[in-house]
Amino acid sequence: MKLSFSVLSLTGCSGCISTLIALDIFPQFLERTKIVYFPFISDEKNIKNCDVALIEGCISEENQINVIKNIRKSAKKVYALGSCAAFGGILSLSEKRKAEPIFNFIEVDGIIPGCPPPSKLLGNCLIKLIENKEIELSEKNLCASCPLNGSLHLNSKNQIIKYFPSPDEIISPKENSDCFLKKGILCLGPITREGCEHKCIEEGIPCEGCMGPVSKTYFANVINYLSLINLSKELINYKGIFYRFSKPKFKW
Amino acid sequence: MVIRVLKVVEVCSRVEGHGNINVYLNNQKDEISHVNFEIGFFRGFENILIGKKLLDVPRITSRICGLCHASQAIVSCKAIEEIYELEPTEQSILLRKLLMTGELIKSHSMHFFFQSFPDLLKLFNKGQKSLSLYELIKYDPQLTTRFYELIKIGNEIDKMFGGRSVHLITPIPGGIVYIPSRKNLIMAKKYIQKAILNLDWIIEKFIELFSTQTPPIEFNLLNPTFLGLHNQGNYDRYSGILGIQKQHQKIENFFEKDYSQYFNRDPELRGINFNDKENILVGPLARNHIIDHYPLDKISNFVSYFKKHWHNNVLYSNFVRLLEMYVESHKALDILDNQHLNNRERLPSLNSSKNLEGIGVVEAPRGTLMHHYYINDDNTIKQVKLFIATEINIPLINEMITNYAVELYKKHDIDMIKEEIQLMIRAFDPCISCATH
Repeated sequence: MKLSFSVLSLTGCSGCISTLIALDIFPQFLERTKIVYFPFISDEKNIKNCDVALIEGCISEENQINVIKNIRKSAKKVYALGSCAAFGGILSLSEKRKAEPIFNFIEVDGIIPGCPPPSKLLGNCLIKLIENKEIELSEKNLCASCPLNGSLHLNSKNQIIKYFPSPDEIISPKENSDCFLKKGILCLGPITREGCEHKCIEEGIPCEGCMGPVSKTYFANVINYLSLINLSKELINYKGIFYRFSKPKFKW
Repeated sequence: MVIRVLKVVEVCSRVEGHGNINVYLNNQKDEISHVNFEIGFFRGFENILIGKKLLDVPRITSRICGLCHASQAIVSCKAIEEIYELEPTEQSILLRKLLMTGELIKSHSMHFFFQSFPDLLKLFNKGQKSLSLYELIKYDPQLTTRFYELIKIGNEIDKMFGGRSVHLITPIPGGIVYIPSRKNLIMAKKYIQKAILNLDWIIEKFIELFSTQTPPIEFNLLNPTFLGLHNQGNYDRYSGILGIQKQHQKIENFFEKDYSQYFNRDPELRGINFNDKENILVGPLARNHIIDHYPLDKISNFVSYFKKHWHNNVLYSNFVRLLEMYVESHKALDILDNQHLNNRERLPSLNSSKNLEGIGVVEAPRGTLMHHYYINDDNTIKQVKLFIATEINIPLINEMITNYAVELYKKHDIDMIKEEIQLMIRAFDPCISCATH
């Protein structure tokens, strides 16, 4: 039996949906499911009952809360598609706007993280969902499988002075496989979930954390991480590094 | 006068992002006063960027839009390079052009197939219901497969040269941090050759289906002023000079640094203000007017099938989108043969900034995109002005849908009008994510 799907956006950039449409398996996804609501590519105007709803984007407006509550009622399972729906996303950088993940208002059956979700991960998750199976995400951090062979360099004597390498210093990990932290460059790999195949690291660029935290106690992880590294004063004062894709939570 | 507002559409379907439509009715006369295509809210990227370090900016601006992300990141790099007075290497420029082509192919084909094609079929087969998603993919299986392939090709080009397909990793201020391997170049060439084969077929199909038809006159453009980049009259979305053309007048050229003589914006307020009160059009159709010709002989043959009444009709932009993909695919083949492409060059260092502001401009798939940054002494962002294509087009869209709705309301009810208006809006291919920056 084909499962029915809804795909919809809240506040975001449509990058998760454009990633979904460009997947190799997208034609099969359409064939093997019944799309009941997908405003990006279909005219169906009303949210209908469905087996699975994929929600892209964060909640930034009051009226969106009702929208997702309706989705929760009409869908057997609800998944957050991408880091905005899962954690709040890039709008977390704003001091003026709200950027709430959907699980602050409704129960969520799972997340497909990333900004955007990596194609391979998204494809695999989609296959699971089509087959009515659960999504499984790695519970490891990015360092667990980092292509920079040298072990994670956590040494508080070594000051971290940069959040991004200078363009002339960017080199392929094939040429120099030292941990970014050893080079004095901040990398969020230790507190970020793996699953992105280290695309940034492979271009010589440190992790900015778009896959989100491994565990729900992200706040504790950040504090823990900060206690293990020696950030320069300039970086301590620079806003929006650790909470680029989610706002800190002060509740435990 | 008593005006009643009817919010007739909460979410426009088959449009990127969330736009709604309000109809303003004059109660006393039972007629439509005006119709507005509105964007609910702003995300405030201008605010988010304040205080950010310059190397951090492109990867934040990329997140403005998941369809025009490459243009958003690259235009940001260009603005920052102006602050440092840096000229990226030939290799980086070529790679940026490839990334913009990948983005254009993916964006144009998604819009054409899923969003516009069902409307064209409906408009030219009068009385026919709009195809549902499943009817659309079964309508002509060959056409469907070819569009899936195009979307995939655009996606793969960006994945290959950008590190991933959306919110690219490799474009940074100073250039592109990626040196393509020989294997990459061979693969990319195969993809692009396949794109050209598909486009040849699709363009022929478009001509066969629509060229002998007469597009509805309501969709004729209302003498807008066209704005777009060109390079001495040639098609070029990366470098060149801005051209502005009022109907039937000579093109006036200006550098981006002089933009305020033509338009400006208040970073705290919505909308872009043009000094002339004319409505402005940017995007494929505007580029088509601004350039002298496309750099391919075959194009004039394709165009010759469409009589003059097509050229000023917004539905013609669908054909122009196909032509742009075709032209850029051919240009991409030339780029992939360029020997500079696999040079091993280091990127420049960003030591001392030379200017306290910088402006970058490119043509995104949906039109002219400009970023203007003002910086503090410590090389962080002080103020940002973003000039986004869809925002420029909105006054023209609103004027056209108002005229259309007023006429329709004489014979039809609001339900019918809201369907027809959405159809007209889709023809402009608005990018609401971008517009809600």
